Amino acid sequence: MKALKTVGRRPRRLDAEAKVLGELVYPSDRCLEGMLWVEVVRSAHPHARIESVDTSAAAAVAGVVCVLTAKDVPGENAFGIQIQDMPVLCHDRVRYMGDAVALVAAESRAAAREAVARVRVDYEVLEPIIDPEQAMQPDAPALHPGGNILHRGHFQKGDVEVGFKKSAVIIERAYQVPMMDHAYLETEAGVSYYDDSGSLTVESCGQYVYRDQTQIARALGLPLEKVRVTAPYTGGAFGGKDEITVQIHLALVTYHTKRPAKMVLSRDESIVSHTKRHPARMWYKTGASKSGKLLAVWCRLVSDTGAYASLGGPVLNLMMEHCAGPYLVPNVSVDGFAVYTNNGFSGAFRGFGCTQACVAIESQMDLMARALRRDPLAFRRDNVLHKGDRAALDYEMKTKVGAEATIRAAGRGKLYRTRGKFKRDRSEHTRSMAPYIKRGVGVASQMQGLGLGVGLPDYAEVELNFSPDGAVTVRASTSELGQGAYTAYAQMAAECMGVPLEKVRVVGADTKTTPDSGTTTASRTTYAVGNAILMAAGKLRAELDKRAVGLEGISVRETFHLPVADVKLGDGLPHLLYSYGTHVALVEVNTLTGEIAVLAVEAYLDGGRVIFRTGFEGQSEGGVAQGIGYALFEEVLFDRGRFLNTNFDTYILPTSMDVPADIRTVPVEVKEDTGPYGAKGVSETCMVGVTPAILNALHDAIGVRFTRLPVRAEDVLRAVLERRR
Amino acid sequence: MGPERNMKTEIAFTLNGFPVSLSVSAHKRLLDVLRYDLGLTGTKEGCGEGECGACTVIVDGRAVNACLYPAPEVDGRRVVTIEGLMDPENELSVIQKTFVQSGAIQCGFCSPGMIMATKALLDENPDPTDEEIRAALLGNLCRCTGYVQIVEAVRLAAEKLEKRR
Repeated sequence: MKALKTVGRRPRRLDAEAKVLGELVYPSDRCLEGMLWVEVVRSAHPHARIESVDTSAAAAVAGVVCVLTAKDVPGENAFGIQIQDMPVLCHDRVRYMGDAVALVAAESRAAAREAVARVRVDYEVLEPIIDPEQAMQPDAPALHPGGNILHRGHFQKGDVEVGFKKSAVIIERAYQVPMMDHAYLETEAGVSYYDDSGSLTVESCGQYVYRDQTQIARALGLPLEKVRVTAPYTGGAFGGKDEITVQIHLALVTYHTKRPAKMVLSRDESIVSHTKRHPARMWYKTGASKSGKLLAVWCRLVSDTGAYASLGGPVLNLMMEHCAGPYLVPNVSVDGFAVYTNNGFSGAFRGFGCTQACVAIESQMDLMARALRRDPLAFRRDNVLHKGDRAALDYEMKTKVGAEATIRAAGRGKLYRTRGKFKRDRSEHTRSMAPYIKRGVGVASQMQGLGLGVGLPDYAEVELNFSPDGAVTVRASTSELGQGAYTAYAQMAAECMGVPLEKVRVVGADTKTTPDSGTTTASRTTYAVGNAILMAAGKLRAELDKRAVGLEGISVRETFHLPVADVKLGDGLPHLLYSYGTHVALVEVNTLTGEIAVLAVEAYLDGGRVIFRTGFEGQSEGGVAQGIGYALFEEVLFDRGRFLNTNFDTYILPTSMDVPADIRTVPVEVKEDTGPYGAKGVSETCMVGVTPAILNALHDAIGVRFTRLPVRAEDVLRAVLERRR
Repeated sequence: MGPERNMKTEIAFTLNGFPVSLSVSAHKRLLDVLRYDLGLTGTKEGCGEGECGACTVIVDGRAVNACLYPAPEVDGRRVVTIEGLMDPENELSVIQKTFVQSGAIQCGFCSPGMIMATKALLDENPDPTDEEIRAALLGNLCRCTGYVQIVEAVRLAAEKLEKRR
């Protein structure tokens, strides 16, 4: 293979200059001549029947143009990525605090807000359902016609009873992980208007414009071609903008008023209304032989999906698929339940079920290694999956498995190799507290399915244009959420067209001008869009050989279909391709104050070949920050279905003082045969292993196993005091 | 809504080196004046309560959260926003350049605020330690980067500015 000129290097991001100048127009920045401000009347209760909605006082507020309720939804008053069980505007019942009951559109935001306060809704308040176990009982009041179990699954491989009988070590623990907010810096926002061709256009912040288009058209009863959706840039998403947020509400206002409209959610409204990371309880029993071979994994996984389905089913599927980590286990039994409650509502979030499962299985792995007095990394290496092995849900791993390579690389790394020294060292400012300072090093490994998995349409179409001046334009409908994908696309296009990077332009996420490249989720875009770019480039080069470039240039389109596993175990289950990673974390605990500091993290990531190196490292470091947040700070709190912390004063995010300077990202480039230049994806793997690596480091430091996240200073103190007794 | 809320005051201030005068209601936030009255949308809103720093601008040399700053308070003061940071030759300022160079930009929504906080820091303390940089950016949240490349950009900017002196 000839040397690569652009792929694998460190170019400047295509959008960096516009962003540092403050010139890039985000969805919340868009303003249109004559636009109306839209505000939402949200439910006053986590669970209630709506008796009546009186909008007369709101409509009378000066400047208010319309107040819309369920009767004003012309099409199907329902949406949802997988199951359309969520009303655009509720008419008879509300199931969580974020449910929309009415919309107000006014000449000013102040008038719209005043009118919101004057919409009178009479409710018959119902008892909120807050406990998933109780919600599963047959006599529990049903939140949806099909009952409260959205999805369940049972998978078995071998016989766990036999496995446990043979085991020298059996570890049983119950884990609890919290609801997590994506906390993208830009809240959900957008504008809507009729464009010149009469299409109802929504410029917003979603992660898949073609699906948004379908969801809007269905709710408004419009043909698809009458709806246009764009979403090239937004201020972060991480899965939280995958489901519909503001899009249908905006479209509805423009549909009724024929005027442009604008919406920007306040932070409180954002946290209350959008999907979250599923809170989950996970019961695990795992066994290993005296010689350190994993013999059995039994688990029961219960995820609280909240009020509506969104992607709760597929998230549970991935939780089950990844329940045994990247390990070869002869006997597995997993039961999973995704359950409706009135606790907000959950959906896609970086890791997509793997995040939760990884916390549990990697804690179990550590406990077993301890019980066997084995090195935790060696224990993992000895049990790791290889190509040709049968995975936990009993299907064959048919593509390259990079798990072992990441574990071995971690073992060679500075942090693990010289962990004794790191653990003895004391930082300057903790020296005076020396007797109370404890340090620990922890590891965690994981795998993460790439793409949507079996049974779901998963393809990427792109258009490549070569213009007479030698410039190349890539058109793809995926969104630039911050991950740097557009830069990676441009690098791949430059490489395969043999042009300098400066000659490549990327046009993104517009149902009118870009072909359907699929979702901007599931670690898939570099792989999927990249493959389509390579295919289109081949076709384009052939065209260029055949004919002259006219004034319009030459355009070609190609579609790449993601290869999938040859068995189907459920929606999106299983995957054919996985990314792999091993994280090592060093923590310092002050046993007098309970304070925890993460001092260093090393990330060994197999996302195949790295295309955009700076972006790869940046994502990894951001993943470390989110993993620290999940381990130590973040939890959406409820009191009987009512949100308690809806802004950053009480929902605590990691700051520059909480994330270590010492983050080392090491690419373990196991080149994927089907990947563009051997690339896969890394946007989820980079976060998932961080949290359990921290939990394992805490155990190493103070000898305490935390099974409930987040671990706060008071939890450390309580544990330390209990041990002293 | 009481009458005092709608009461307007005339204010005049310097914005990015140019004089500006307008009439604002007493309770208006500086952020809304910048974004909606003056159309300068480079200053972002992330939380609306001074926790995230996305709306950081510089008033009389100090970094402030424009979402907490009453617009009438800028009367007679000098305000600098991200739009006013370019060099006189209309080139990216040193800080903007190093943010691009270090890969400190991902979604970019925190970037204008980060860059303004950096400018305020380096104007005050031209040679900060890494800890001082991290402490100065404590009020600016970033959800994408993990701060490493941002701190690197600030350090690099300090070095480059030092050489210019």
